[in-house]
Amino acid sequence: MECALETNGLRKEYPGFTLRDVSFALPCGHIMGLIGPNGAGKTTIIKLLLNVVRRTAGEVRLFGLDSLAHEEEVKSRTGFVLDETPFYGYLRVAGAAAVIAPFYRTWDQSWFEALCREFELPLKKRVNALSRGMKMKLALAVALAHGAELILLDEPTSGLDPVFRRELLERLSGLIQDGRTSVLFSTHITSDLERVADYLTLLREGEIVFSAPREEVLEKWAVVKGGPELFEGGNAGLFRGLVRGPYGVTALTPDMEEARRRLAGRGAVIERVRLDELVFFLGREGRREKEAGRE
Amino acid sequence: MLKLLRLEYLFNLRQLLIIWAIFSFYFAWAIYRLDSPGVFIVTTSLMVGLGIPFAIVGREDKFKTAALVCSLPVRRSTVVLSKFAATWAAMLLGMGYTVFLIGVLPFSKVPLGGVLSLKNLLVSLFLMSLLFAVILPFTIRFGITGIIILLVGIQLLGILALFLAQMLGGAGNPLRTFFMAVEGGIRSLLHHPATPGYFLALAGGIVAVNLLAIFVSRALYARREL
Repeated sequence: MECALETNGLRKEYPGFTLRDVSFALPCGHIMGLIGPNGAGKTTIIKLLLNVVRRTAGEVRLFGLDSLAHEEEVKSRTGFVLDETPFYGYLRVAGAAAVIAPFYRTWDQSWFEALCREFELPLKKRVNALSRGMKMKLALAVALAHGAELILLDEPTSGLDPVFRRELLERLSGLIQDGRTSVLFSTHITSDLERVADYLTLLREGEIVFSAPREEVLEKWAVVKGGPELFEGGNAGLFRGLVRGPYGVTALTPDMEEARRRLAGRGAVIERVRLDELVFFLGREGRREKEAGRE
Repeated sequence: MLKLLRLEYLFNLRQLLIIWAIFSFYFAWAIYRLDSPGVFIVTTSLMVGLGIPFAIVGREDKFKTAALVCSLPVRRSTVVLSKFAATWAAMLLGMGYTVFLIGVLPFSKVPLGGVLSLKNLLVSLFLMSLLFAVILPFTIRFGITGIIILLVGIQLLGILALFLAQMLGGAGNPLRTFFMAVEGGIRSLLHHPATPGYFLALAGGIVAVNLLAIFVSRALYARREL
C-alpha cells in the first residue's frame, strides 16, 4: 500500500524529554489520529514532519520522498494547521492568504474565498482580531486552498465550537474520499477520533504504545473489571494500567480474546474499550512507571 | 527567492515606513548640523546599519512567525538569503534617501560631491556590512531579546567608558583604549589615501564580511528549533 507518510526510528532529544524511536506509517487516503496525554510528544512529531525542529535521528518520508532531501517538494504537497497559528497579526485575512499563496503552484484563490465564506471568516478582518477558533479556521482554509495531499493538524479542534468541530470532522472525512488526500491530526479530544480516524497512534512519554487501524485497536483492547485475585499470578502480564478501587480492580488488556479465555466463569466483566479509557489507563501507567523510575 | 522577498516586503512595510519617518527627521537634522561628508557618512551608515537590520531581522522573532515561514515550501537557506537581500535593499534605499535629502534640502551643509565619492561610499558599505554581519547571526541565534541586550550592553559599556574616563583619566583605562581603537579605525578608514589598493582592500573586506555573515547565519538558521 502506498504511504503518504512514514517515519522510521524518529528521535528527538530535548533537555528533560526524548521522543524515542517513533515509527509509523499512514497509507494514502486515510486519517490517522495521534493521541496521548499532554507532553507525550504529539506536537513534536508534527514539527518534525514539517522540519520545523531538527530530528536527532531517524527518517521521515512523505509521499515516498525523504522530507529533508526533497523539502520543497514535500512541503508544497503538505498543508498544516499548527497549535499556535503564527500569522502576522496586523495583516488582514485576505492579506495573510496573499502572502502565502505564491508559495503554492496549486493555490486556488476562488476556493480559498469560498472556504472563508463557508467558515464565516471575514476577509477584511485583521488576523489579531480573530479568536483562536477563527485563526484555526483561517489556517485550515489556507491548508485546503492549495489542494494539499497530506494535511497535518495539531490540536485542530481545540478552541472550536461544537458545531464547527463536527463540520470540520465531516470535512476531513470528505477530503480523503478521493483516495489521494491523507490526514494526520493530533488531539486529546478522543471522541473526535472515534468519529473519523482510520488509524490510531498512541504516544506516551515520547514513545509509541501502538500504531494500528482503529478497528483493530478497538477489537483487541478491552477494559476488564473484577476482584483483585483475577489480576494476580499468571494473569498479571495480561493487564496494564491497573486501577484499584473500593469495589475491585479495573485494568486494560491488549488481548481481549485471551482475557475472555483465561477469565471465563470467574466473574470478570470485559467491555470494549473507548479511546478516552485507553489514554487514561495507559497515561496513568506511564506516569506511575516514571515515578517508580525516579524512586 | 522572489516570493520570499515579496513576503519580507509585505511583512516589514509598516515597520520600514515608521523608520523612514524617524530617519527623515534625524537625517534632516544631521544635514543641517554636519558639514563634513566623512562624519555624515559614518553617522548615517551606523544609524542605517543598526536600525534597518534590527527592524527586519528582529520582526520575525517578535511575531513568532518563523514557524510559518519554515513550514512553507522553501529551504531555510533561501529564507536567510531573502532576509539578507531584503535588508541590504532597504539599507541601500536608506542611504540613497540620505543622499536625496542632501540634494533637495536647502539648508544642507554637507557637500553632495563629497558624500558621493567612491571612498565614502565604500566606507559606508563596509560599516553597514560590519553591523549587519553582527546583527543577522546574533538575532537568529539569540532572538530579538538577545540583540536588544547586546545593543543596550554596548551603550552601557559606552557610558561606563565615559564614567571611567572621568574618574581614572585616560591612562590604563582599557575601555577607553578600546573605544579609542574603534574611533581610530574609523578615522583611518576615512583618511587613508584613496589608492586603488585601498579601494580593493575595502571592497574585498565588504565581500568577505558579507559572505561570512551569510555562511554563519545559514548554519545557525538551519539548526534553529522553532
